[in-house]
Amino acid sequence: MSIRDGGFIDELRSTENSRIGLYAMLLAGIVFYLFPVETAVMTMFKTESAFAQTLPFAPPGADGFTLEALATAWNTLRPGLLNSLLMAIPATIVSALLGSMTAYGLTTISWRGQVAVVVLIIAGIFIPYQAVLVPLAQFWFQVLPGLLNGFVNTVFGFITGGNWQYPSRNGYVQLLQLSITHAAYGIPICTLLFRSYYQSISDEMIEAARLDGASAFSIYRNIILPLSLPMFAVTLIYQFTQVYNDLLFALVLINEPASQVATQRLAALTGGVVQSFNTTMAGAIVAALPTLLVYIVFGEQFAKGVAGE
Amino acid sequence: MAQLTLDEVTKTFQDDDGEIVAVDKVSVDIEDGEFLCVVGPSGCGKSTTLRMIAGLEDITRGEIRLDGQIINDQPPARRNVAMVFQSYALYPHMTVRENMAFGLEESTDMPDDEINERVEQACKDMGIFELIDRKPGELSGGQQQRVALGRAIVRDPEVFLMDEPLANLDAKLKAEMRTELQELQQDLDVTTVYVTHDQTEAMTMSDRIAILNDGVLQQCATPLECYHEPNNLFVAGFIGEPSMNFFPMTLEGSTLRGEWFEYELSDETVAAVEGTTDITLGIRPEDIEFVQGNGPNVFDSTVHVVEPRGNENTAHLQFDESMDDQFIATVGGMKQLKAGQRVKVRFPENAIHLFDTESGEAIRNRKLDEIETVESVV
Amino acid sequence: MREILSRLLATGGRLRSAVSRDESDGDQLATDGGATVKTTRGDSLRNSLPIEWELIESAPFWLPPVLFAGFFVYGAIAWNFLLSLTDYSGLGGAQYETFDFSMYTRMLNDGTFWQAAQNTVVLLVVFTVLCLALGLFVAILIDQQIRFENTFRTIYLLPMSLSFVVTATMWAWVYNARNGVLNQLFRLFNLEGALVGLLRPAGVNAEVVQWLSWNTTALAAVIFALIWQFSGYAMVVFLAGLRAIPTEHYEAARVDGASTIRMYARVIIPQLRASAVSASVVLMVFALKAFDFIYALRGSQPGANMDILATMMYRVAFDSLQWAYGSAVAIVLFALALLVIGPYLYSEYRRGEL
Repeated sequence: MSIRDGGFIDELRSTENSRIGLYAMLLAGIVFYLFPVETAVMTMFKTESAFAQTLPFAPPGADGFTLEALATAWNTLRPGLLNSLLMAIPATIVSALLGSMTAYGLTTISWRGQVAVVVLIIAGIFIPYQAVLVPLAQFWFQVLPGLLNGFVNTVFGFITGGNWQYPSRNGYVQLLQLSITHAAYGIPICTLLFRSYYQSISDEMIEAARLDGASAFSIYRNIILPLSLPMFAVTLIYQFTQVYNDLLFALVLINEPASQVATQRLAALTGGVVQSFNTTMAGAIVAALPTLLVYIVFGEQFAKGVAGE
Repeated sequence: MAQLTLDEVTKTFQDDDGEIVAVDKVSVDIEDGEFLCVVGPSGCGKSTTLRMIAGLEDITRGEIRLDGQIINDQPPARRNVAMVFQSYALYPHMTVRENMAFGLEESTDMPDDEINERVEQACKDMGIFELIDRKPGELSGGQQQRVALGRAIVRDPEVFLMDEPLANLDAKLKAEMRTELQELQQDLDVTTVYVTHDQTEAMTMSDRIAILNDGVLQQCATPLECYHEPNNLFVAGFIGEPSMNFFPMTLEGSTLRGEWFEYELSDETVAAVEGTTDITLGIRPEDIEFVQGNGPNVFDSTVHVVEPRGNENTAHLQFDESMDDQFIATVGGMKQLKAGQRVKVRFPENAIHLFDTESGEAIRNRKLDEIETVESVV
Repeated sequence: MREILSRLLATGGRLRSAVSRDESDGDQLATDGGATVKTTRGDSLRNSLPIEWELIESAPFWLPPVLFAGFFVYGAIAWNFLLSLTDYSGLGGAQYETFDFSMYTRMLNDGTFWQAAQNTVVLLVVFTVLCLALGLFVAILIDQQIRFENTFRTIYLLPMSLSFVVTATMWAWVYNARNGVLNQLFRLFNLEGALVGLLRPAGVNAEVVQWLSWNTTALAAVIFALIWQFSGYAMVVFLAGLRAIPTEHYEAARVDGASTIRMYARVIIPQLRASAVSASVVLMVFALKAFDFIYALRGSQPGANMDILATMMYRVAFDSLQWAYGSAVAIVLFALALLVIGPYLYSEYRRGEL
């Protein structure tokens, strides 16, 4: 057993027994953090009668095994998964890019009073989205269509004959609206992530670039952006998870069944009157799959994003 | 070919408590091809001055002229200056070649092959040609330092600005680079302003030294002038290692009376200090003589601590056990001294510096005409 | 976007060349006029700009995104406040004619609101405190030079990568009265009867614990599940804080003869104050946003025991179409969030951390 200097918990470490106690606690932690996921995985392979009669965390017996629940869940969720990706990927990229630009303009280039803007942006991270929900619905479903209808029919009236209608009920339009909304609300956190990274970039290097004759745009393009690549990984992964996982905005902005996102469809599946837990668990796992995959592959970046580093 | 002039350059910062003057009316003429060191303790405004020349800080008042052209409001890139930073400030994601080419790409219309040619030539000059396609992370500190210098050279600037470029190197490499830098500057014959807090660097490398304290220029002169004819107490204490010894005295007739000793002045010196009564007597450690027997201006003292340095010994002396501060004398490495030993020391009159205690101004310095030259062998 | 940027930059370039032209004029004056130049200097275009050059230079980068996000965040909040002063409800557009605080007085007399507000505060406080405690404990465990540290850390943080909807679905099954893991486990150890006796609310007749519907357990069940999901976050923050403490501090405490518990209590944990503050701000905000979890668990009518302001706001506005009243509840929620982050941002600002 290796004992490093500056270790802690003497009582735990000094003897083999205490070291075993430590690992026992850590393993108990694994059981605690994984049992809901484990029972979900086990249950989704069970038949109706099996999940009612066996222990939830036990694997299904040979007669209780079925892929039917998974198939049902997959069929229910598949269009939602596609919609989610279609909406979340562009929103994530736009947020990250704009966040990086904002952070550059507010960190690397320094000017008096920028702290005020920074405060507003950081406060924006913590806004409970309920506070913007009604205006959001108003904007996308009433004000914007009204303005666009008026504008298009006035300017292009000779083509439309004054009958053009903003396609509010079009599934793709709704997804686009949701995507834009997520992109906007993602800017603050992306800015914060990039800002703390840019603060660590040496001022002297930026000054060297200015002396080399680089413009603000060139410094961003040739120096900051290439150096930001690891931070882009962190931001994209964190933000994708956040956007994909959201339910609230989708509930408000998507009312066409065809354009519902994965979380919406899962919520509908769970909220059904008949609780077929094998199907809902399969649904949960299927809906979690994209973020789980991202998390398993890029766990390190996700942890950094979470810690705001 | 460039002459750089600082004319009453002033920089003030706005603080919660009001205005802070970082650089106060600094005026210096830097000749074409001259190597000027700006030294001073940290916070004295030396880096701010350099950054104002570079254009990285606005100038509050006064003006900076390059060959007679005012460059106060020129953006950094148009000033035709190149700067070497303490941290080297290399672009970590670019190779040595890209690092050096970046400035030429950004600030000139030079075709790519010409840029490449110049970069490769500069690399050869700096002896880093074999590293040209590596990134800074793969280089040692000394190599990074060369790349930083190369990046400055390749621009062929009118003025080199260096901000403590050797501070991050270890002692041996530092001494090496000092010589190399000096040679390089002479070869290129580019006007250079070099900021350092290390007075040894300033003494050994520069044509002239500008000493700043609290944003005020104390003296701007050759290293030897600064050493032997300091303008004031600050310069006298800052230049030289170990520092000059100071004793506060009062002039009565032709006698300087201090807490520990009385010093008899010659008529000539008395005439020179006429009108000042509060006088600080200064003497450099190497000018203190150890003598046998009594005489004028010979004092008894006790050796407190001896620091052997090989080539010489530094002795910390006390006139009396109750004396809090010690004064320092250096003797040749072959002369042995022991702690506790009673010695007689003489302060030769031609070696003493006298300062007005109140203003700090020098009123009498040691004479430079005593400097001997080593005869050349034909 | 790119085009706009380059155009703006070109404008910047013109401004700059204008500046330098101005300087060369000044120079001619200098050669002729000698000492008088100083007074004519300093009024070049760049200096005469009413705002800093850096502000103009940086604006193309931050201004468009800030306006975009600002419209959706602050524009929407202002709009929301305006709506809360109307009495807008039902289908159709909002009427901005009369403004008063009637929605807020209505709220004060609404028992549902007070119940939801109470649940929100309890959730906020209990969840945050327990999450911090568990996160700190786990972080200390992980910081013992263990093997497979990354694996442990990854697994502990995994719930946080999941959607509230996914975790709510899973916990609905865990808490299921008849077949859920929790009750099955208690059954296995013959504890179920005792537990029912202990937790059963007055006037309820049941043989199994109804975790999500009993008023004794519903909120606790939600809090427990949220702790499960977010203690990993507290762990990550505390771990970063622990790693920032120099090894010498542990060694010095050990040399001073402090026991492990005293070393942590007196030397180490006090240094984690900053980590604790930033973690608790984020956790409280998560708690205010716990809507998704409760909605996925119980829909928009989770019952009085589990109703928080976030679910109430959604129900009032989007189920009952009482838009103005929903907006007013949202403003209260916003004020709560402000109460949490305002002091935090202010102290960060004072410490120069922003």
